[in-house]
Amino acid sequence: MRKLTGLLFAGGLGFMLLAIASGLDFGSPPMRIGEAIQSASPQEVGAANIVTSVVLGYRGIDTLGELAILFAAASAAGLVLGRRHTTTGTQRKGGFVLFHGGALIFPFLLTIGFYIIFHGHLTPGGGFQGGVILAAAFFLPLLARPGARLHHSILSVIEAFAGASFILIGLAALGEGQAFLQPMLNQDTLGALISAGTLPLLYIAVGLKVGAELASLLSNLAQTESEQ
Amino acid sequence: MNNLVLTIALPLLGAFLLPVVMRLSQALGLWLGPIILGYGCWLLGNLWFSDISLPLSVAIGGFDAPYGINLYLDSLALLFAFAVQLLGLICWPYGLNQDTARRQALMLLLVAASTGLALSGDLFNLYVFYELAAVATFGLVVASSTSAAYAATFRYLILSGIGSVLTLLGIALIYSQTGTLNLAHLAQLAPELLNNRLGLTAYLLILIGIGVKAELFPVNAWVPEIYATASSRLSGFLAGLLSKLALLIILRLLVLIFDQPEAVQIVLILGILGVISGEFAAWRAKDMRRMLGFSSIGQLGIIFIALSLPDERGLLALLALSLHHLVIKTGLFMLADGWGGSLERLTGAAKRSPVGAALFTLFALSLVGVPPLPGFWAKFTLITELAAQSEPLYLIGLLVFLLATVIETSYLFRIVVKLYSSAETTSEQPEHQQLPGLSLATASLFGIALLTATVLIAPIGDGLQAVAAEAKNTELYIQTVIPATPGGQL
Repeated sequence: MRKLTGLLFAGGLGFMLLAIASGLDFGSPPMRIGEAIQSASPQEVGAANIVTSVVLGYRGIDTLGELAILFAAASAAGLVLGRRHTTTGTQRKGGFVLFHGGALIFPFLLTIGFYIIFHGHLTPGGGFQGGVILAAAFFLPLLARPGARLHHSILSVIEAFAGASFILIGLAALGEGQAFLQPMLNQDTLGALISAGTLPLLYIAVGLKVGAELASLLSNLAQTESEQ
Repeated sequence: MNNLVLTIALPLLGAFLLPVVMRLSQALGLWLGPIILGYGCWLLGNLWFSDISLPLSVAIGGFDAPYGINLYLDSLALLFAFAVQLLGLICWPYGLNQDTARRQALMLLLVAASTGLALSGDLFNLYVFYELAAVATFGLVVASSTSAAYAATFRYLILSGIGSVLTLLGIALIYSQTGTLNLAHLAQLAPELLNNRLGLTAYLLILIGIGVKAELFPVNAWVPEIYATASSRLSGFLAGLLSKLALLIILRLLVLIFDQPEAVQIVLILGILGVISGEFAAWRAKDMRRMLGFSSIGQLGIIFIALSLPDERGLLALLALSLHHLVIKTGLFMLADGWGGSLERLTGAAKRSPVGAALFTLFALSLVGVPPLPGFWAKFTLITELAAQSEPLYLIGLLVFLLATVIETSYLFRIVVKLYSSAETTSEQPEHQQLPGLSLATASLFGIALLTATVLIAPIGDGLQAVAAEAKNTELYIQTVIPATPGGQL
């Protein structure tokens, strides 16, 4: 009975989606807001990457919400996983290639991660993408040596202050008598590394927070696994 | 007026910092959350009594309304935002254990998200806060760490995930038709672009998606298990407030964007089904918390019936029922803190805690709608309004509503009788029937609020009438967010 209901629901939903899709005209999206932002954002925000000016400028509080969602998910996972008591794994090591390959690639991953974060306002990429690469860099040694640990206390301090600095930058604008999360500082030349005011700072905060959060989450998972 | 955003930003800031602060100094960490919420109450309370003219719109990031995201504050939003901060303070997880920092951080996130739900004027921003509230809730329910809680959370996770996807699909459909996400801007464009089958589909998707939190009929399977396993304080917050905030979003969509007869009809039908299924399940329930959960589904169904009423009086009934349910259900969940579990164990509990039993009776009387308690007034408004409609579907709604009241009376007073009956047989587990002091005090607070409302029913009614009129005014909403420019169009 339950399977039948599920099948009916899925089938109905699929049919509805097909019916909708057949009625949509693709290729001519209405650009009421989009066009205005595209033409105004280089002057208003000063970021060469218009996606960034939308993510951190026009819809900055959405990004703050996404950061908070990630934080909530990591905390909830910590509540579930943190209970199991963890022992140092007795698994065998990852082998010569993985071990030395991991050590070799570590500085490159760090460089790429930070590059992507620092250039988020100029080229595609930014805090979220760069942060994930940073987390991967720190997780790699754990794969090579299952017994190794990350310093959770340091990670949580980085995470807390990166998240807090995003909000504090927003509050600083509020203290200046402007709106919350309003871009501040000089815009400088469009396309220069130091430009677009506070946007790169916001992306650094995002990158560090995402990186620290994912790294500690992954190592949490790895430790729980190594126990079994 | 930019300060308004602090009610969202400060709880988020507190949540991010709490794990570190708690490690540095536990005393400071424990005070951090309540201080932030207290400040939020003070800020919003001040707004209520100040002479700032409502409604108003606050642009975030300094970008004007249809381009950036704005917060919209009218009396309705202010009322709910204040209720969020206050109830967050009342339902705060005070207990101490190894997970205190994480639980309190999640609670702060939940409060921030709920405040955002009350205030935001942007469809996608609402979705972000809705997701945040959902994820924070998963964490808080799991924190009680019984295997039943894991199972309940998993079911909730799946259902909530489906709801999120459907909502997102609906929002994407709306965006594909209009190219904007701002509610006021959408309200301007809706009569032309969304008054068709596609718009109705988008509305249905969002209704079902958001309905997961509002305990709407087909997507409420998570309710009894979550309320039976989560801590009573959390259940009180979820049943009392978060469900109403989801309802508030649906209300805004109905008033501003989907002003179509079909859209209202769906709400009415789902509401009627919700009342029937919820009340009968509550009648059969053998466990206090599950009973409260099912009864909450029934109550929300009644509120959905009120939502489907076309004019201002209907909105007044909706507000009255919502606020009444908020006070009553949270109070009842506080009592369930000590009285959770099988109903059989409650036999003769009145002797051990007479105050608790008296409060339960008071809440039950008001929930059923015995004059002069506020519940009577709220239900009476709904009945007169339903009876005034000419459509036959509303008449069915009225009949179901009256039937529901009878069933409610039956199961609530079965418990009252049990409470006051003399206990001969059961004395095995007396410690379980003791109410914790803090919960009893909180429940008394709600009891006092209820009695105060009974005395002040006339001014409260006038106030709510004004709130309802303001919320129903689409033109005012648009004018506030996007002041008309001489050029005229966007």
